[in-house]
Amino acid sequence: MAYSCYITFPTTFFAIRAESILKKESAVFKMVPVPRSISSSCGTALRCKCEDINSIKDTLLQYELDLEGFYRLKEEGFKTPIVEELDLND
Amino acid sequence: MTDTKGPCASELNLYFDNAATSWPKPEEVYRAPEKQMRQACGNPGRSGHTRTLDADRLLYDTREAVANLFNVKDPARIVFTLNATDALNIAIKGCLTSGDHVLYTAMEHNSVLRPLGGLLRDGNISTTMIPCSSKGYPDLGFLETAYQEETRLLVINHASNVTGSIAPLEAMVKSAHKHKVMVLVDAAQTAGSQRIDAAALGIDMIAFTGHKSLLGPTGTGGLYVRPGLDLKPLREGGTGSQSELDRHPESMPERLEAGTLNNAGLAGLLEGLYFIDRTGIETIQEHEKMIRSYLYERLQELPGLKLYGPASDEPASLIVSFTINNTDCGEIGFILENNYGILCRTGLHCAPLAHKAIGTFPEGTVRLSPGYFTTRDDIDYLANALKEITTLIQK
Repeated sequence: MAYSCYITFPTTFFAIRAESILKKESAVFKMVPVPRSISSSCGTALRCKCEDINSIKDTLLQYELDLEGFYRLKEEGFKTPIVEELDLND
Repeated sequence: MTDTKGPCASELNLYFDNAATSWPKPEEVYRAPEKQMRQACGNPGRSGHTRTLDADRLLYDTREAVANLFNVKDPARIVFTLNATDALNIAIKGCLTSGDHVLYTAMEHNSVLRPLGGLLRDGNISTTMIPCSSKGYPDLGFLETAYQEETRLLVINHASNVTGSIAPLEAMVKSAHKHKVMVLVDAAQTAGSQRIDAAALGIDMIAFTGHKSLLGPTGTGGLYVRPGLDLKPLREGGTGSQSELDRHPESMPERLEAGTLNNAGLAGLLEGLYFIDRTGIETIQEHEKMIRSYLYERLQELPGLKLYGPASDEPASLIVSFTINNTDCGEIGFILENNYGILCRTGLHCAPLAHKAIGTFPEGTVRLSPGYFTTRDDIDYLANALKEITTLIQK
């Protein structure tokens, strides 16, 4: 059983801006279609290791990006994942 | 092209209409749209697959390159439009409300005059024109006296497409801001060939086109809107985000963009922006200044030829306008192409008030607009052709 964390964005612009910033910062992440079990305004989300989500969030906020939501998904094969919404607001 | 001017003519760049659209383009600009359509042909923001993301990345990189060009920190403040006219319409109609007063200069293009004229005829706004000198420079003394309580916007044509005269942006922006008036800069003739620092000058909005000095394809352009300024969208529709809502997203850049953008064109524009970045805008500016001075000096010698606009040492973009005695401008343009293969533009250049300011209304002028790729050899050929034409007319 594996856990992955996701950050969602209000628009595609912010998703791609996040990707551009994090690439320069050498962060480990992947841009993926938003899982069906998460509701998001934009179809692209950022997936990362759960231990990295806080530092990735902090980097993005430094660049004044609008972020929509933070999630931890318990994923097992093709089963519907168990979704936990994270409250990462300081 | 005829071969009457010797074998060298075919090797020269005889395109002197860069103020209308630039040519040639860097080789990468020709190739990029094809590559985009073949390899990255997804619809940005609409799906989650790789091609869509590649198209999204292209838009982002282009926004970032434009933001760098204008020294803008946040690429979200750059929106893409069809051209400069579209950007000016979005800016003008998006920032004004009923009862507002607008200032504009006599050098404005119809892309400003007509949207303002439409709002004026509908009784929504009032306007005052800032007169310009016979060289095309705005009267700053008049500007100081023109502000009213309702004045909301000052529109400045950065460089005239008739004379090339460059408006003193810094002084005009300072003046407008002192009176709490917003500034919209029409940079159709200057984006890519003159340094424009939106942050340092505090400009509120810049409208630009992609197919002139930015060396990109037609159908590309955009608008910079400063942070904190929320324009009312001219168009609403699909953006790929917040699809469940029946209202258009409020955040930039989607706020001012609806429907699928010109991705193939923007791929070309990005290569134009990269070329400018590699070359350096100061290098471009220096070369263009040298070419204009040389052209101006060569034409100054010709009898019966009258030059308009800034002298060779005054602030100007790469444009020189002239007339020859009372000869029809269209006829001169025809002879230049028919006998010498030289392409230029004649007439009013969509800027009737500018021609009134310099005293060439309604006949207009012959406009020569070389570009970054024009050489002194090209100018020599052009000057020799005009020497023959003026001699012929003098007889």
